[in-house]
Amino acid sequence: MTVHQGNIMTISLRTSALCLATAFILSAMPAAAQQATSKLDEVLARGHLVLGTGSTNAPWHFKSADDKLQGFDVDMGRIVAKALFGDPDKIEYVNQSSDARIPNITTDKVDLTCQFMTVTGERAQQIAFTIPYYREGVGLMLKADGKYADYAALKAAGSSVTISVLQNVYAEAMVHAALPEATVDQYESVDLIYQALESGRADAAATDQSSLAWYMTQNAGRYKDAGYGWNPQTYACGVKRGDQDWLNFVNTALHEAMTGVEFDFYAKSYKTWFGKDLAPPQIGFPVEYK
Amino acid sequence: MMDFSAFLDQIWIARFAILKGLGITISISALSIVVGSLLGVLVGLSLVYGNRALRFVVRVYTDFIRGTPVLVLVLASYYVLSTIGIELGPFQAGVLALAIFCSSHVGEIVRGGLQAIPQGQTEAAKAIGLTFRQTFAYVLWPQALRQFLPAWVNTAAEMVKASTLLSVIGVAELLLRTQEIISRNFMSLQFYFFAGFLYFVINYSIERFGKYVERKTAVPA
Repeated sequence: MTVHQGNIMTISLRTSALCLATAFILSAMPAAAQQATSKLDEVLARGHLVLGTGSTNAPWHFKSADDKLQGFDVDMGRIVAKALFGDPDKIEYVNQSSDARIPNITTDKVDLTCQFMTVTGERAQQIAFTIPYYREGVGLMLKADGKYADYAALKAAGSSVTISVLQNVYAEAMVHAALPEATVDQYESVDLIYQALESGRADAAATDQSSLAWYMTQNAGRYKDAGYGWNPQTYACGVKRGDQDWLNFVNTALHEAMTGVEFDFYAKSYKTWFGKDLAPPQIGFPVEYK
Repeated sequence: MMDFSAFLDQIWIARFAILKGLGITISISALSIVVGSLLGVLVGLSLVYGNRALRFVVRVYTDFIRGTPVLVLVLASYYVLSTIGIELGPFQAGVLALAIFCSSHVGEIVRGGLQAIPQGQTEAAKAIGLTFRQTFAYVLWPQALRQFLPAWVNTAAEMVKASTLLSVIGVAELLLRTQEIISRNFMSLQFYFFAGFLYFVINYSIERFGKYVERKTAVPA
């Protein structure tokens, strides 16, 4: 009986000691990790970048016919991977929905998220944004052989113009900010707003300029841009807060892709997904200070 | 007609993606149904035969799980578990969430099936000298099994449908695969219909299988 009790005592003592030790290690670890190393060292030691992005939005992040992830967001991740390892393919993708962008950063499921994330003050309180890599805005797409030549013609036509737009609480106000008198037809999905334009039920389709640019690249010669953009939003990648070293590294990689040694990489991607050629940054006085 | 051949064309291009998605959907569903049913039988038995303390704990478990949306369970097993150091991949986290959800439902089905058997059966078994073990194995369980088979098939079909929620945490199951295809070719109506058809085929097979088992185990009239 006594022996038995003694046994229990030892076990419970040992268990509590173990618990204490575990608690100690757990509480000590993050602090030590933060002081000693940055995510940058962790990623370099691991040998590949864990990039969070989606898979269902062309031309940002979507699957090619042979099931490979591609798009402008994906290329931003590839730029960072190239800066890290000299190899843009050293990426492990975490496929995430738009809702998962911030949670996956804060719970360390990804090193970096590039997923057409609009920079807002609220989000910047939760994660750290990198420098922007694109400025999104709403644009108008017309049929190449249509009745209206450009934005001025649409505006002049007043209420006789019909605009197809994605269903949204703000859709009407959004269109009226550019064309105050236009009739607004709301549709449930992107393919339907394009179809409305194609079939003549709408005179122009209004949606994100990147989506329009992609669609026009896919259907070369059939459509044209009305030449007006509004509703600006900045797209930037995001990392976890509190790791300045890692943030600086990603910023440097993106910055040099837009202004320095990797400009060709960025420009090629821009041309592929948005169909436009970029002029190389002016040589001499840095463009940043103009 | 032109549209339809373009659609078939797109299906052919995306055939491997669709098959992979279908495979993932089937494996998620099968795993969560099997694990969930095994757990669920334990839950059901505890609810009927457990002592007061066990009954209370299991009752809280089933009520809590059944009262929580599956999506919340999925998100919790992916995000909350990682904050306490259990790192599960999206697939594992998803299967865990669905299996737990399934177990609470199967538990209630088992409980209902067992409790629907008239008390007289147990008393009769006792009267002819069967032990509790024997009573359960030869009298109660076979009857309960027939009782809960239809409800169980229903739960299995629910699990297949719930597997679509795993697309939120990035499991490339059939729905996410379909959305990926649509984002490339903009054929939303056609491909959502097609995915719906595939889900129907899976669930119809489950239903037929259930009917088959019901027929096989039916007590001859």
